[in-house]
Amino acid sequence: MATTASVKTQYNPREIDNTNDTPGRRAPLITGNQTYSSITEMVCRVAEDPQPTLWYVLFGLSSVTAVMFLSLIGYLIFTGVGIWGNMNPVFWAWPIVNFVFWVGIGHAGTLISAILFLFRQNWRTSINRAAEAMTIFAVICAAIYPGIHVGRAWLAFWLLPYPSLNLWMWPQFRSPLLWDVFAVGTYASTSLVFWYMGMIPDLATYRDRSKSPLRRAIYSFLCLGWTGSSRHWLRYEKAYTLLAALATPLVLSVHTVVSFDFAVSQVAGWHTTIFPPYFVAGAIFSGFAMVVTLLVPVRAIYKLENLITLRHLDNMNKIILATGSLVGLAYGTEFFIAWYSKNQYEGFTFLNRAFGPYWWAYWTMVSCNVISPQLFWFKKLRTSPFWMVVISIFVNIGMWFERFVITVTSLSRDFLPSSWGYFRPTMFDGLMFFGSFGVFLSLFLLFCRYLPTIAMSEVKGVMSSSAHSEHMQAALVGGHDPSHGHGSSHDHH
Amino acid sequence: MSDHKPTKTAASRPPRAFGWMAEFSDEHKLLEAARKVRDSGYTDTDAFTPFPVHGIDEALGIKPTVLPFIVLCCGLTGLSLALLMQWWMNGVDYRYIISGKPFGISPAAIPVAFEMTILFSAFSTFLGMIALNNLPKFSNPVFTNPKFDRATNDKFFLYVSASDKYYNRDSVRELLGGTHPDSLDEVIEDSSPANLPRPIWLGTLLLVLAGLIPAMIILNMRAGYSTKPRFHVFFDMDFQPKKKAQQTTTIFEDGRTMRPQVSGTVARGQLDEQDPFYLGYDPAKLVASPTPGSVKYVAAQAQDSKPADGAAAAPAAGTGPNLPWISELPIEATEAHMQLGEVKFRTYCAPCHGYGGQGDGLVHKRAEAVGGGYWLPPTSMHIDRVRSQPVGQIFHTITKGQGKMPSYASSITAKERWAIVLYVKALQKSRNASVEDIPVDKRKLLEEPTNNPK
Repeated sequence: MATTASVKTQYNPREIDNTNDTPGRRAPLITGNQTYSSITEMVCRVAEDPQPTLWYVLFGLSSVTAVMFLSLIGYLIFTGVGIWGNMNPVFWAWPIVNFVFWVGIGHAGTLISAILFLFRQNWRTSINRAAEAMTIFAVICAAIYPGIHVGRAWLAFWLLPYPSLNLWMWPQFRSPLLWDVFAVGTYASTSLVFWYMGMIPDLATYRDRSKSPLRRAIYSFLCLGWTGSSRHWLRYEKAYTLLAALATPLVLSVHTVVSFDFAVSQVAGWHTTIFPPYFVAGAIFSGFAMVVTLLVPVRAIYKLENLITLRHLDNMNKIILATGSLVGLAYGTEFFIAWYSKNQYEGFTFLNRAFGPYWWAYWTMVSCNVISPQLFWFKKLRTSPFWMVVISIFVNIGMWFERFVITVTSLSRDFLPSSWGYFRPTMFDGLMFFGSFGVFLSLFLLFCRYLPTIAMSEVKGVMSSSAHSEHMQAALVGGHDPSHGHGSSHDHH
Repeated sequence: MSDHKPTKTAASRPPRAFGWMAEFSDEHKLLEAARKVRDSGYTDTDAFTPFPVHGIDEALGIKPTVLPFIVLCCGLTGLSLALLMQWWMNGVDYRYIISGKPFGISPAAIPVAFEMTILFSAFSTFLGMIALNNLPKFSNPVFTNPKFDRATNDKFFLYVSASDKYYNRDSVRELLGGTHPDSLDEVIEDSSPANLPRPIWLGTLLLVLAGLIPAMIILNMRAGYSTKPRFHVFFDMDFQPKKKAQQTTTIFEDGRTMRPQVSGTVARGQLDEQDPFYLGYDPAKLVASPTPGSVKYVAAQAQDSKPADGAAAAPAAGTGPNLPWISELPIEATEAHMQLGEVKFRTYCAPCHGYGGQGDGLVHKRAEAVGGGYWLPPTSMHIDRVRSQPVGQIFHTITKGQGKMPSYASSITAKERWAIVLYVKALQKSRNASVEDIPVDKRKLLEEPTNNPK
């Protein structure tokens, strides 16, 4: 890539535009004439070098927020859910909105790791690790809300089917709320396993570069004594493929089941068959937006622009554009069906959403989710780190409002006008939503500091095979010797 | 336990060699060398690479893994367990009746079955990979060479084990040397101390022991026989900000939790307390012919709270035989009332007192058989004491209970209680009747033995 490498931007020599496609030539996945050791160096530096001041500032703020959140949970448990604004007729208010919001965000990681893996999308290797970590932390945030919403949080384990001596009964397996327990539980644990398994070879790299014995001992323990033996790699790759194949239907099932919480009920605006695909599209949409929001600062702070290149971000923005349009289509379809079904409650519900007392929430949702991603049709915006962060934040605001609109508008005005009401959140609703970002960010910052942020072994593997295929291509075209010039002296000819 | 033991053995004999390790700087040289080693007939070989090198399994002759079959079996186990669990829990052991939907396995069982299949498969994939790879393994002779640290970075290693059946130290060295490696080293035994340092041991032991303390406390609380109240982590509804009867309070000036009736109000059922129909005696005559206890009670009430009317003059349950019982039934002695009384008597009274009222009901018979001498038999209604009671007193006994007999006021309405009294009176009369009590036109029935109704 001599042509692109020589193009020097004035502010950042690492920011190379690799988003242009040259016919007949595969665009490089990583830039800057990388070798295996330079990749190791670049990724390990994130954890080995002293953290920038910004890290301490961010971690200070987010951990204080997280502690506030945990104290508020304590206050909630000792006082009761009455501190929230949940009140007749809206008993499912912010806690379920926040739950669905975070679970949705938690879809991008496994999607990138599993589905893009099965589709052989090699560009996933630079971003999958951070996205998976984000998934785990988002699912942790999500799982908090139903746990504390049950009222007596110390009895939340009653959700599980266990032979109880107090209850003498079993859970109700025909309830979508119980399916949720299984779906989110399976998703959280499988994602954790997937994430951890993917990290084992990179943890071994961290171990082998450790200078202090304590650090070496800890990473040695975490990577289970990984050596990189070819027999191990064979089983590891098979296991990785299997996990990807298992996680693919799983990731689609989780938000489907979450949507069943609504769709299986008979409330107008919830009781629709469109919900599963609509929720899954929305989840991918918000998850990718969160990945963009996080990765753009991460690559700038840790100088990873050569690994997480503009092309990666461009690809993610294209997915945001596609899923955002799908979500917009779903909004339109809901309205169409409400009219076409000639069901007066359904019709009323949707008119009420757009023009009723919650019109402001509805139009915030539409402008953030439908209009703002359409800006990604412009390549300038799609490849500008600043604008993509702005748009991705708008997308996540919109996705929170989507869940708010679905939950609150349908409940506040149901079939019986005498029981209509207007939901008002309390201070605790707001603080406890804000606080979950503290937990999320603290965990993510700790992840950046102590664990491999980029799947080094996967990047190297892709580098090796693409170099090989390019050599083969070159050999076919121009009689170039394929056995020459590989490996560490490797560059993208 | 000793830190010196391994060093001693290391000093006493040369460290054991495990084979040869050749280092390469790129994967293609490694593949070439691996093919050469394979073609020379060595099978106990391995390569160590920073990423999975494609073609290395073929170059080294590595066989495919059985992992997918393990995963398939575990996935099917998860599926069967999920179906079995839902069928048994909701179809057999604890059935939920919901809109007449079928019990057990229905399409609603699919989500949980699916998730459990994935859960079991995913964990078996991970754990199976770990187990087949013999991990975790922290002590490995390959780690003794500091060069090997780059096997997870940018170097590629080819290893021929000393346990190969054709292994010969010099010929393997020659073979690997012929592949032009960057370096060639013998893999030697790890001579570092194998045991954990003592402080780490002690620290871990202490941590484990400390970790057991909460579990022990909980076990002690669950299994102990202490009569003290349990330790409440969460109060649930055991402690509520409320007052119970007879407690004191600081909210009211008089310090009493129970509040007197607000003047000018009538409580539900309060008027019944003055009606002989609900009492069995005439409260109007109560003050006129007072018992010593009732006088005291009325006086105390009047002094304390100045009730709105004389309603509070009602006596406590079972206040002796001296109450002004009413002796006339307040209901008419009709056939319908008699039948109502019979039905209610047979339902509520007969289990103890027997169908004939002789105190020989099934409960009595069973209690006699089981309880023996401790059982106090129910009163017969045909003894003189009961026979001489006025109807009001029998009504009062049913209403308030007596001795071991509980109150039936909540189970039987006042009218039904009076019907029972009517039936009891008829029963009593039936055991002590003479021919004169039978109407003249019915006396002939006595002389026809076959037509006797009872």
